[in-house]
Amino acid sequence: MENRINLGDGLFKQNMVFMSGLLTAPVIACTTTLQKSLAVCFVFSLVSLLTILVCRSIPRTIVYTVRVTLYTVAAAVFYIPVILLTEAVFDQSIISAAGIYLPILITNSLILSKTETRFYLEPAGLMTADVIIFIIGFDISCTATGVLRELMASGTIGGAEISVPFTIPAMETTFGGFLFVGIGAGLFRAVYNYRKAHAGEAEKDSLAEYAEDMGEFLVGRHNKPEKEKIRIYKATAKKARNVNELLDMEFLSNRDVLEAFEAIIAEGQEMTGKPGEPENAGSGEEPETPAAADDSPEEIDDDGNIS
Amino acid sequence: METFLNMISAALIAIFAQNSIFERALGVNVLLYASRKKEHMFGFAAAITYTTTVASAIIWIFDSLLAQNESYRIIMPLLYILVTAVVYIGTLVLIWALFPKVFRSLKKYVHLSVFNCSVIGALFLNSQQGGDILAYIGYGLGTGIGFLMAAYLLYTAAGRLNSPLVPAAFRGYPGMLVYVGILSLAFYAFTGYTTSAL
Repeated sequence: MENRINLGDGLFKQNMVFMSGLLTAPVIACTTTLQKSLAVCFVFSLVSLLTILVCRSIPRTIVYTVRVTLYTVAAAVFYIPVILLTEAVFDQSIISAAGIYLPILITNSLILSKTETRFYLEPAGLMTADVIIFIIGFDISCTATGVLRELMASGTIGGAEISVPFTIPAMETTFGGFLFVGIGAGLFRAVYNYRKAHAGEAEKDSLAEYAEDMGEFLVGRHNKPEKEKIRIYKATAKKARNVNELLDMEFLSNRDVLEAFEAIIAEGQEMTGKPGEPENAGSGEEPETPAAADDSPEEIDDDGNIS
Repeated sequence: METFLNMISAALIAIFAQNSIFERALGVNVLLYASRKKEHMFGFAAAITYTTTVASAIIWIFDSLLAQNESYRIIMPLLYILVTAVVYIGTLVLIWALFPKVFRSLKKYVHLSVFNCSVIGALFLNSQQGGDILAYIGYGLGTGIGFLMAAYLLYTAAGRLNSPLVPAAFRGYPGMLVYVGILSLAFYAFTGYTTSAL
């Protein structure tokens, strides 16, 4: 059975800035103008794409502890030609203004986490498309943030003056960035939920959707029967206190998430009921979240495979 | 004595005036995860403090030797990643050999606390800040302590920020960012503003 991958995830459902928060530092602290946001997007796109494509060939027999080191080293190597190219494309003053936020992109979570939990589990062609869409999702969010913050802070876009009734200079600061991205993330989620509700999916909450997606993903990966995903979903719902607790794990998006779901398969819990009715969702019971679970079984090796 | 004071001064700058979270937004996603559980908070802070401190001491050597070189700024990220990787793997091997049980509990998330914007960013900021080796160590130490302080402030508010009283769309990640933003505004004062400027 093929794994179901929704190629639109990187744009909306798992948008790296506004939904999962996988990469926020450069957006919050650096993208205060259009030019700076374009420079960030340029470096991020090239470094991430090259690194993810090349690192796919790293054998998964190497323990994850070492493999993640190789990913960052590869990203740092690719950063050298990319920054030289950036210097040729962008003005030096923009690169200087971006400061440390360009080199720190080598440790972004798309490379360090999403590779393990998503990209390297996909076929090569699909993975390439998926990575590009995730990158486009980030680029759009980052550029939009840069444009709006520049407009609000100084009444310009790309240096060109725009007639605005007033300006908010605080948008240039880090705390302005936190507030902008925080409010933006809330609005983004509200719009996403609203559209989903009006697309006839109102009966399926975010928790159900996420858990079901993960269930299907793992069912495909382990060649389990279709009905298994219902059991995985139900077990996941039992382990999460509320929707956000589970969705917030997405920004972590490291191997623990996958491990926790794999653990649910391994445990072989008996489940009852049907999907779409998370038993404890929002009930306020003592949480035991998948990603935060400290009881990840020893049977799962460094590659997240069940022994 | 003067060098020791420089070290303390660098640490205080890293904790308050240039806090990696509130002033630079470095490692926010790791912070949001670390602040969920008390043990994670201390575990992440300890790993970040250790890595930034040890790696800072090592990069001081390279900065001292190579800072004048024209191409150094290009290879800095690679060099810093290699230093961090050596510290990370070296430490894990030691822990694995001496305390295998600790290693098993650490290996799940230790990479997250080492390879993140907070650690790498601290090394770059340290390099910009300059100074002697003790100042570098002080800044690395202060970065970790600053992270712990930020994680604790978020940990204390996590329950309220995830409360059903918060609108669903703002519950969790968006609400936490707004909260950190307000704290960041307070920390902004440490950078030194006078009332005449207001």
